[in-house]
Formats: sequence, structure tokens, C-alpha cells
Amino acid sequence: MTILANSNQPKSNDNDLITAVIDGIAVRVPKGTLAIRAAEMLGIEIPRFCDHPALSPVAACRMCLVEIEGMPKPQPSCAITLTEGMQVKTQNSSQVASSAQEGVMEFLLLNHPLDCPTCDKGGECPLQNQAMSNGRADSRFEGTKRNFQKAININAQVLLDRERCVSCARCTRFADEIAGDPSLELLERGAKQQVGVADDQPFESYYSGNTVQICPVGALTSAAYRFRARPFDLVSSESVCEHCASGCSLRTDSRRGKVLRRLAGDDSEVNEEWNCDKGRFAFRHLMQDRITTPLVREHGELRPASWPEAIRYAAEGLRNQRAAVLAGGRLTLEDAYAYSRFARVALGTNNVDFRNRTASSEEQDFLTNHVAGTGLGVTYQDLEDAQVVVVIGFEPEEESPIIMLRLRKAVRNKTLKVIAIDSANSLGFKKLNADLRLTKPGNESAAISELIKDLQDQNSIILVGERLASSHGAFSATVAVAEKVGARIGWVPRRAGERAAVDAGLLPNLLPAGRKVFEPRDREVVASAWGVSVEHIPTKPGLTQLEIISSAVQGEIDAIVTAGVDINDVANHAAFAAALNKTFVVSLENRASSVIEFADVVLPVGAITERAGTFVDWEGRLRTFDAVMQESLALTDARVLHLIAIELGHTFKDDAKVTSLRSSYSSLGAVSKPGTMNLVAASTTKTGLVLAGWHHLLDNGSLQAGEPHLAATARAVVAKVSSETAQANGLISGNRVIVRSKLGAITLPLEISEVAPETIWLPLNSEGSSVAMQLQIDIGAEVSVSDGGAI
Amino acid sequence: MTISEQTKIELRELMSRYPQSRSALLPMLHLVQSVEGYVSQEGIEVCAVEVGLSTAEVSAVASFYTMFKRYPVGKHHIGVCTNSMCALLGGDNIWRTLSKELDAGHDETTADSMFTLERIECQAACTHAPVMTVNWEFMDDMTEQKAAQVVSDLRAGKDLQATRGAKVRTFKDVQRTIAGFDDGLVDEPSIDASMLAGLNEFKNSTKGGK
Repeated sequence: MTILANSNQPKSNDNDLITAVIDGIAVRVPKGTLAIRAAEMLGIEIPRFCDHPALSPVAACRMCLVEIEGMPKPQPSCAITLTEGMQVKTQNSSQVASSAQEGVMEFLLLNHPLDCPTCDKGGECPLQNQAMSNGRADSRFEGTKRNFQKAININAQVLLDRERCVSCARCTRFADEIAGDPSLELLERGAKQQVGVADDQPFESYYSGNTVQICPVGALTSAAYRFRARPFDLVSSESVCEHCASGCSLRTDSRRGKVLRRLAGDDSEVNEEWNCDKGRFAFRHLMQDRITTPLVREHGELRPASWPEAIRYAAEGLRNQRAAVLAGGRLTLEDAYAYSRFARVALGTNNVDFRNRTASSEEQDFLTNHVAGTGLGVTYQDLEDAQVVVVIGFEPEEESPIIMLRLRKAVRNKTLKVIAIDSANSLGFKKLNADLRLTKPGNESAAISELIKDLQDQNSIILVGERLASSHGAFSATVAVAEKVGARIGWVPRRAGERAAVDAGLLPNLLPAGRKVFEPRDREVVASAWGVSVEHIPTKPGLTQLEIISSAVQGEIDAIVTAGVDINDVANHAAFAAALNKTFVVSLENRASSVIEFADVVLPVGAITERAGTFVDWEGRLRTFDAVMQESLALTDARVLHLIAIELGHTFKDDAKVTSLRSSYSSLGAVSKPGTMNLVAASTTKTGLVLAGWHHLLDNGSLQAGEPHLAATARAVVAKVSSETAQANGLISGNRVIVRSKLGAITLPLEISEVAPETIWLPLNSEGSSVAMQLQIDIGAEVSVSDGGAI
Repeated sequence: MTISEQTKIELRELMSRYPQSRSALLPMLHLVQSVEGYVSQEGIEVCAVEVGLSTAEVSAVASFYTMFKRYPVGKHHIGVCTNSMCALLGGDNIWRTLSKELDAGHDETTADSMFTLERIECQAACTHAPVMTVNWEFMDDMTEQKAAQVVSDLRAGKDLQATRGAKVRTFKDVQRTIAGFDDGLVDEPSIDASMLAGLNEFKNSTKGGK
């Protein structure tokens, strides 16, 4: 049998194949293939603990011993590369291998407490399983087992029971090789050998939960799941992460309608088999502060109402009004598609925008011509295969952590160079060994234009983040450079629903699938997919979120439909609140939010686990998932909008079921080539001190609510400036710094760091540093600073 | 205690002796022991910063090798070999005597911080078994009485000569030598005729003469 190379194997052509024999079966594999991998492909299972396809071989546990002809002793199959003619005998055909494995298992169990009945791993434990399949029935050990103090924290979330450890070094290799956070190590030696952290530093990593998942015994557990459930009581469902645009495949484990834990799914094209701690642990929001019945406002108070009453109430408030839709960035493709259609047909408006964040018309132009409806573009594999990846206004570890892992993989293989254009250095940039071009916010355009010499004749990719919207001329410069050097562009938003929102046309000038509002032919195609006459798609130009808010404040908008937006995410939240106060607000929510106090009707929709849907990740890849809670009666946004539309007298071709919306969307096809963006020149450089920042992965984001252990692993909240800036402004390292805008102030400890000149860097939404709420400005705005005294 | 600038300069000098600075970690940790008397947390942090490793990685190295101590060592480190050869020839008894005399067990330091006692593994000097080490200098052909005498001499501050080698200094002094800094004692003897007896026998035999 011939086995084709996969991504975890050396690349090969036919000449590089060799033939070996395992348990009497000849196998042709690429040179360099490990015996254990080849055996797997033949369906021969060799027991193992330390072996992991994504980690370097160490042969630490010795469980996979096999007999190899010509070798004097049994060999670890996880570290032996097959050679031409090699004869391998596993436990299936060799008494030597089988008794060697039994011996190793007996040895591993000498100090193991055998506390399976109280261990979280019991029931899904490789040690338990392989002790049954490849171990002796009893032990000859009569001594006293090694004892350790019970669970110690290696960080706030991950606990270590050292007595259960078999020293396989999976967790320590993961920390070093994959996450790049080598603060988890094997300490001591011999019988005292143990996994641990240094006295001064916990295992600070955004990826720490992966160590729990790959631990082959019950040594590593998470505070969130410890002692909560037995694996055999759980229902496991494949799902997709709702947190960011990385698009991780997840496994969600639930019991009687409640999510107990989430694990990284195995998807070689996307997240390989890793995910970040936010995706793994931040799921309490699915169950916390849920709205369970429709609410309508009566005499100034929200009161529970029946669905028919609430739908009627919403429809009456929206009928023949000057309306707008603020859709937020967290919708599935099907829901976004439904909002796009609802706005155009039922509300008769193009006033629709999903960008509940810093946004610009230049960005909108870029999204329209280079993102909307373009389907699968730059992929994770492309990042891995590239020679140069430039990240601009995008910190991979903080803003899309799985991209960081993929980039790091290629950087470690020494095939990729990363260039970063950003305002400050970071742990993520350091881990990527990035060539960092420190750039004052607003000056990105000039820095981007200089990339031409770096990218000439290189297989290069430019990743741009949502923060770039705050820098005038930056998208234009990126497009110009990319065209000149033949680089490809990937747009990486922060929220999981933003790409779907662009594809579904949740922008004032866009219809679904990159179709344009002002193209008559596009309107016809879309109208036919929706089953409405083309007159139902308005031609009047729509307003952006910023314009919708200011128009509403001026009384030019009467009604607003919101989809899970948080007004505190934007700098103009005071105006946002005033706008909502003045208008008839229909809010589709699954949890209590900052919009509810302004809402006239609140319509509860299902959480992401209660319905099927599709997220579109940053690549443009469709990440379709089924409901985890199959028995849930919760409605999707699309279904609720459909009911209101019917009440308003509109019908569509389909019934707004997830599957029919999905096929309606896909019937529109994809855009074949990018449009032409109207390139704008950068505005003149700002003088004086300006604000920079990004969101920490773990911060005050509302989807991280109710997770104290996770929150405790967040990074320190500090302001950062360069030593020159500190000196020029009389700031003292270690003291507090007060950062002021015209509308407010933030006081934080100051850290001297690598930051662009005339720039102060703040985390955008962390404890004590909510830039939108407190300063009410966007990044790039001018600020003043002063020393805030000793801490 | 803190790691001085002078020590940091010396740590960097050690790093400069290797193509990759992390290769210098073992001598660096010995140098830390020579100033701190043990591998202190601060020493780990300084080494981690200098060679660009995490403190966990440096801790892993420091805790793996038994010659690195993670707690303050006494002025003198006394090692008693209790591997088979030495044990049979009296090492076990020497251990018991010293342990009782010093009121210290394995890897323990006396209350007056003068001595740290350790059962050590084979020192490759079985010719002179049972052996004992004082700050890693050999004391050969020990007996319980001789061992007790060594301890009382050290306690009294008397000069003491290693059986084949240098004058006995302190634990810290010797750590500096191990770290790779010249102590001027390189020409002190370390091998005697009885250690070479086997080799000479081999050389004189027909097999070795070929």
C-alpha cells in the first residue's frame, strides 16, 4: 500500500518513497516517515503517550516500543524513521514488543496513584485505556508511591496534579514549540522529575488550555472543568468558535442542555488541533444573563410579552418609518444575510452597517472591492507557504491567535519572514521574530509604501487588521503596494461575524455576495434570489453607522434595529445612546446588553449553541455548524426577522430556515475579480502625542463574562511609551501615567517599551482602560499625558 | 544578596566563550553559586535575561544537576560517597558518623551554616575508597576517625590539604574555579601512583605493549 504525504510528513515525490514491512504488511512511505505514523496509516495501533504528530519526537515515555529486525533491543516507534526494507514488529506480532510494552506500562504505573474514580480524565484517559489494552493485570511493586502536594496552579486556569504525570513532556514541548511560551518545563530529575513553572512566573500563555487537552493522563486539568462532569455523561458536538475571525473548529461537550467544556477541534486546514484559551474557556456567556422571553416597553418599563404580541409591536413600530439596521460583528452568515434582506425589503432602506467599531469610508471601499463576495482568499496554508507576511494594524496573537500559531510554525521552519507595521512591540511580534517597523498611528501609509523593496520578487502576503480603518490612506497604500509587487491581501477583522457581514452586504452600498446596490444588474440578481420584485430593493444611498447615529440624534431616523451590539464599544457612545433614546429600538439579543435600556422591543434569539449556522473566517472559508443543543426551541435572528417581515406584509421565496438562507446565498455565486478601489492619499502627519492601542485577547469583552479563572490569566494592564516619549513628557517608568482626551482620562501604570515616537499605547478594553468609554476617542487621536505619581 | 554588576560582566565573559550564549549556562550557574552560595532565584532570573531563556528553562537546568543547590550551602560542602565500593569499605559508617557529628542528614546544612552534608555518587576514585570530598576536593582512604578530624579541623579554621591536590578552600571559592575562572591552582597534583597502577599494569602486559 502507498501512503500519500500529508502536511505532517516530509514533502516527497515518488523517488523518495521507501518500502518497509510492519507486522508482515509492506508499506510504501516517504523517506523520513516515523514507524508509528506508518503503522497508524495501516490501522495498526501502537500504544503511546509522548508521541504527538505536531510535536517533535522525544521518545520520553517508551510506551511505543516495537521489535525491529537487526536491532538488539526494542525501539521506540515514535522516534524511528523507516528505512528501506526495515522489518517492524509491533505488539501484534512480537512477544518481545508486547512484553516490553507491558513492562513500560508497569513502570509508568509504579508512581501513578490509580485514582481514576476521582480523576477528571477517567473515562477518556489514554493511560487508563492503554493500561487495559497493553498492561499487565497487576503490579509487582510493593513500595510506597511518590507523593506530591495535590493540585498546584501552573496558571490561574490550569492545575497540575504531579503524582499523575508520566513525564511525557507533551505539555512542555507544546509550550516551547507551538505556543512559544517556554515557561513550562520539566524540573528536577529521576524519581523527583516533575512538570513545573519557575518560582516567579506562572505559565502565562494564551494557549495554555491546549496542554490540558493533549495531556495523556489526568495531570493537567482546568479550573473551569475540574470535578464538573464525567466524560461518559457528556454529549460531544462539533462546533465553530464564535470569538474571533480565526474560525477554529471546536468540540463542545454538554450535559442536559448545559455546556460543560469546549476543546479544540481537529481541522488541519484551519486551527490544526489547537485553539486559544478564550475560545476554550469563555463560554459562560452562552448561559449567563440570558433573556428568556420577548420584552416590550410599556409606560417606560420593559415587561414580558408573548411572541405574537412582541412581533406585532415591533412591526408596528417599524412600519413606514425611516429605519436603520445596526448589525454588529457577531452574526452568522445566514443571519447577516437575513438582516441584509430585511433592511432592504421590509424596511426599504440601505441604512445598514455592521461596523460597531472604528470605521472609515476608505475601509468600506476596500471591503467592497477586495473582500465582499470573494470567497476563499488567502488561506492559513498560504501563510505557511509564503516567504514574507506583512501584518499591518494587526497583532496576530492578540487579535487572531490561530494566525499567530500558523505564522510561528513557518517562522520556526525558517521559511517565513514576518514584517510588522504597528505602533508598539509585543510578545507576539517577538515570538514571530518580526521585523517591526514602529509607526505612529496615522503614518501607516508612508510605512506601507516603503514595503515595495521588501516584497519585490517574493511570495508575499499582506494581512491588514480592522485597526487600519483609523489610518487615512493606509488601505489605499496597501492596495497600491500589493498591486505593484503582486502580493495578496488578507483582511483580518477581530470579530467572528465581520467577514460574513461583508459577504452578506451589511454595508450601505453592498448587497450580498459582493453585489452592489448601485448596479441594476446586481439588484435584479439579488431580487430574484430573494423572490421579490426589483423595486423592493431601494436605490437611495444608505448611511453608515456613524451617519445613522448622527442622523438619529437630529431626528432624521425614526427606528433602529440592533443585533447584539454594545454601545460601549464605540467612542461616540454618548451620541449612540442619544440616538437610541430618540428612536424606536428593536433589539435582537440573547443576553442582557447595554442596548436593552433603550429598547422598545427586545426579541430573544438563540445563543450560538442553540442553532445552526455558518461563520466565515478571515480566509473567507465557510465554517458551517449544527446546533449543539438540538432540542432547543430558540429562534435564529433570521427567523425573528422573517416573522416581522411577514407582519409588515413581505414574503420571500424561502422560509428563512438556516439551510434555505444558506442555499439562497450560495446561489448568488462569488465575485470573480476584485473591483477598483478609489485610492486616497494619506493626510498630513499629525504632530504631538497620539493614542495607539489594541484589544488584549483576554479583556473586558462581553463574551468573556463570568470566567474568573480565565480573566486571571489576562496580561498586565499598563500604558506603554518609548523612553524618549517618557522623557519629553515628564513620565516616569513604574509610576502611574494619566492619559487625557477632551472628554475623559485613564490612569494606568507606565511601562517603558518599544513604542513609536510621539505615541502612547493603551489596551483598548481592559480593566481600568476602556478607551471608548473613558476617553471617547479612537486610536490616532491626540491625547495629553502627565505623571500620575508613584504606585 | 544581589548579583553585582561585576558578576554580570563575568557572566557575559562566560557567554562570550561559546558560539551560542546559552551553552554557557552551566558555568554561569556555578558562578552564581560562587557569589550567592547557591543558585538563588535572582541568579536564575539574571542568567535567564542574559542568555535569553525563560526562568522556567533555567530552573529546569538548575534543578536537574545535583551540583546546583537551590538552598544556601554551608561554608563547606562535605560529600561522602556511599556507592557500592566506598560503602563496603566503610563509606556507610563514615556517613553515619558525620551525620551524627554534624546533626545533619542528606542535603542538609548545619545550624551554624558551616557544613552541608551530602551522600554523593561515585567519584571515580575507587582506588582510594572510601572517599569523601570537601568542596569537591578529594579526601582519600577515609576512616571514621579521619573524617571526624577533617570536620573538626575545618571547624577550627585550620588549614587542610586535599589528599592529592590543592589546599581546601570554601565552597564558594571552588564554585568560581568550576565556573572556569583561573584560581592559580591548575598545577596542583591530582593523580598518584596508586591511581595509575592499573594503567601501568596494562601497559606492561603483552596486550598493552602491542
